[in-house]
Amino acid sequence: MAGDLAARPPAPAGRLGGPWLLLAPAIVFLALVYAAPLGQVLVLSVTDPAVSLAHYRRVFTTPLYLTVLATTFRTSLVVTLACLALGYPLAYAMARRPGRLAVALLAVVGMSFWTSFLVRTYAWMVILGAKGPVAALAHALGLGRPPQLLFTTFSSTLGMTHILLPYMVMALYAVMKKIDPGHLRAAASLGARPLQGFRHVFLPLSLPGVVNGCLLVFTLCLGFYVTPALIGSPRDMMISQLIAQQVDELLAWGFASALSVVLLAATFAAIAVYTRVAGLDRLWG
Amino acid sequence: MALLAAVVVAVFLVAPVFIVVPMSFSTAPSLQFPPPGYWLGYYRQYFTDPRWLYPTLNSFVIAAGTMGLTLALAVPAAFALVRHRFRGKTLAYLLLMSPMIIPLVVSALAYYSFLGRLRLTGTHVGVVLAHTALSVPIALLAITATLKGLDPNLERAAMSAGAGPIRAFWWVTFPVLRPGILVGALFAFLHSFDETVVALFIAGRAASTLPKKMFESIRLETDPVISVVSTLLFALVLVGSLIALLARSRGRRAA
Repeated sequence: MAGDLAARPPAPAGRLGGPWLLLAPAIVFLALVYAAPLGQVLVLSVTDPAVSLAHYRRVFTTPLYLTVLATTFRTSLVVTLACLALGYPLAYAMARRPGRLAVALLAVVGMSFWTSFLVRTYAWMVILGAKGPVAALAHALGLGRPPQLLFTTFSSTLGMTHILLPYMVMALYAVMKKIDPGHLRAAASLGARPLQGFRHVFLPLSLPGVVNGCLLVFTLCLGFYVTPALIGSPRDMMISQLIAQQVDELLAWGFASALSVVLLAATFAAIAVYTRVAGLDRLWG
Repeated sequence: MALLAAVVVAVFLVAPVFIVVPMSFSTAPSLQFPPPGYWLGYYRQYFTDPRWLYPTLNSFVIAAGTMGLTLALAVPAAFALVRHRFRGKTLAYLLLMSPMIIPLVVSALAYYSFLGRLRLTGTHVGVVLAHTALSVPIALLAITATLKGLDPNLERAAMSAGAGPIRAFWWVTFPVLRPGILVGALFAFLHSFDETVVALFIAGRAASTLPKKMFESIRLETDPVISVVSTLLFALVLVGSLIALLARSRGRRAA
């Protein structure tokens, strides 16, 4: 009897309907409400106002737009590296020192993760502003007025790093907490000093987390809008700001759509490089 | 060394709380820190000004609608993805997860022109539809994670003891799955409540959400009420985290 039950292939929930019946509501909804509008963007990019590839030619030949593309990539790269540099020690401490400290750090990261981008961007506006704590500290130390910090490349990079850091820490922590501490003890018992053990054992084992975190932060940063729009320098625009400006101020649907397709292609390219390195099934861990 | 670095980074992460919360009690009409004095005036302003209250109400209504619709779509889909092997599964998974990968600005632009044609821009329904598509993958991740840990033999046992599939689902599957569904619901709610970019493009005036109002307010006038709203949002996240923690610990006891 028990053997008979275990051998029966369809799971009980299957009898409520086949897999496609269960999937149908979500698939139909996303196809109509999500995929169709995206398809329309694709079409608009080559048909609005006339059928041509002129928008794409304009993106890749106008120096102004090439600068925007370069800024977007450079900023995303800097933010990714900054998140890695800050996130690695934090995730390391969370994974290697279980107990109250790890719980406290995890709570800090979680709180930060769930706090609205806008709130955190606003906080940096206060911190870096002309009447903010940085300026007050500089004044108190007799350093005079600090240089303009807000509305610069520095402020938007700092803000985006702060906002995306929790994503990096989560990705690193997910991999690091699965690393068996026994490996490090084994290395130590074979005579490895702590730093050697870290370099030859822990670091290589944590690399999948590094790759995951970097992909996540990099792709999120490519399309970031809120923070650069609010505290960035008006002179170095990111591509998302350009898209918003083209639609909002100029109603240039065709050109905005072409820019969106370029952004989408860049995002997919990053993911393609990643799947080469790590395999598709790893994408959602 | 690593520990010191970790603590420094953690302080960097929480710094905004220590700035924004005192700011909300400040008497300064501009972004001045440390505050020159303290009062509750800007709290009174927030709770009496319809220009803030109306978007807040909209945000709650839209987030609740998004949560309901997301669950209706994601719970059955999670069952199909965890319990079944079938052709086209990877493709279905890719479609369901794609809103998580595609940049928000691109989605926002797509919605703007699409919902515009349906005359749904500036309506609550339009924003709920848009937010639901974005919340499905997040809810799906939370629910599939719990469902993977559920042994199908539990349901088989219930059914071999004479329960029909619906009764088995209601009395056996659902109670075990509840924490996962609760966390999925919470994620969908908070995601919609926080979402800024899509709302900026499509919410218009009538369905303006709190993040949209905050964005415009920060950009145009830096109204001190923003720090009040920010403080209230911190409180909301705290309450949400507590609910999630409780759900997790109760789920662990149930499992």
